[in-house]
Amino acid sequence: MNLAPLELKQLGPGHLGIIWNDGHQSLFNVRNLRLKCRCANCVDEWTREQLLKEDAVPSDIKPRKIESVGRYALKVEWSDGHDTGFYTFEHLRALCECPLCKSSR
Amino acid sequence: MIFKSKGPVITEESVLEKLRLVKDPDLHRDIVSLGFIKQLKIEEGKVSFQVELTTPACPVKEQLKAQCEEVVKSIPGIKEVSVTMTANVRTGATQANRIALPTVKNVIAVASGKGGVGKSTVTINLSMALAADGARVGLLDADIYGPSIPLMMGTLDEKPESKDKRVIPIEREGVKMMSMGYLIPAGEPVVWRGPMVHGALTQFLNQVEWGELDYLLIDMPPGTGDAQLTISQSAPLSGAIIVTTPQEVSLIDARKGLKMFQNVKVPILGVVENMSGFVCGHCQEITPIFRQGGGQKIAQEAGVKLLGSIPLDPKVAETSDLGRPMVISNPESEVSKRYRQMARDIAAKLSVMSLEGTDQFKPLTMDWQ
Repeated sequence: MNLAPLELKQLGPGHLGIIWNDGHQSLFNVRNLRLKCRCANCVDEWTREQLLKEDAVPSDIKPRKIESVGRYALKVEWSDGHDTGFYTFEHLRALCECPLCKSSR
Repeated sequence: MIFKSKGPVITEESVLEKLRLVKDPDLHRDIVSLGFIKQLKIEEGKVSFQVELTTPACPVKEQLKAQCEEVVKSIPGIKEVSVTMTANVRTGATQANRIALPTVKNVIAVASGKGGVGKSTVTINLSMALAADGARVGLLDADIYGPSIPLMMGTLDEKPESKDKRVIPIEREGVKMMSMGYLIPAGEPVVWRGPMVHGALTQFLNQVEWGELDYLLIDMPPGTGDAQLTISQSAPLSGAIIVTTPQEVSLIDARKGLKMFQNVKVPILGVVENMSGFVCGHCQEITPIFRQGGGQKIAQEAGVKLLGSIPLDPKVAETSDLGRPMVISNPESEVSKRYRQMARDIAAKLSVMSLEGTDQFKPLTMDWQ
């Protein structure tokens, strides 16, 4: 079975929860998620150099809308207007900030 | 009991109990628990009911019908059994919570890596075979630069009409079709950059009045670029079919096409090996002019099914140029028989995926508060 999110949940003003089809429950700080964007505007496509500077992201940044892209990724539209980043399910899962995942990294 | 009945009492339960003996070979469950039996009526030894299959293109339709008649007839006192086969195609898991193409139950991409392997021919004939079995079918030509559906369907001069800002597809043999070829003058090249291709495909998906469809087949352009990404991202695909020819040079690209769909998590329904040998016009013998077993090879490597192989029959090229696909013009040919079998196998596979829920994907959307 392919890894896929079954449910998205807003947890307070700054956290996103995802329930996965394998039962795992993920927790994300949304600003951290914004900082991990891998789109070509945030990370150089050839050199992999980080182009997005941390202080360029507002401290109160939040998603406006989150939606599926095909059947392999989520797309987030951010409050700062950034909307070019896709988060593949594998990438998203690797970024999980739940205590279990954090301690295993 | 005050009134003596003339014969043994036939109850609904006794009929259903017998019908439980009939199993759907693909779904591995009996047809009663699958909910296939509808409109069961019993009147003085006459029993009639409908069997609602998951696809009109069911590979074992006749077999199931015969079994139903046989088991019900074995009940003492039954004189007449009338079975009607109907179908209600299940909505693919990806389409259950649909955003794009809300009236389409299953979207299937037909792709290859390489051009010239006969993707359009395969897509057209599979569409025609599904429609001939009674399914509601659409065919989208996603090859913006080199649309071939209009010629191959004999619809070069057709121009689609529009109504309420929606485009009405062209229809032939029960298949609704849309292609860039209908929108530009014949012979004019489309000279566009990638983003315009993306725009055109998005419109084909969202602004064409497809209506209620059981299957929408998308004839993909060759390669793994803009068009493939747009389709994988915007259309919730139920699955993809990979077309290849038997020789290595085609397999290399077919593997890439396969890998691309796997990367974007689209289930591969199987591989079709086209131009698999040459059918002699005199003796009908099949000679493998392009080596053998290539389709089987990549199917095995990727752990997917070889849906079938289609030999090269000179009639295929002839009927394509005349706009009369093989399945329609030469239904009794070996090629047409194989297409029908493949279409039914694909339909059965989609039914299984949807009923078993093996494919649990559900598109999500959420507004942040």
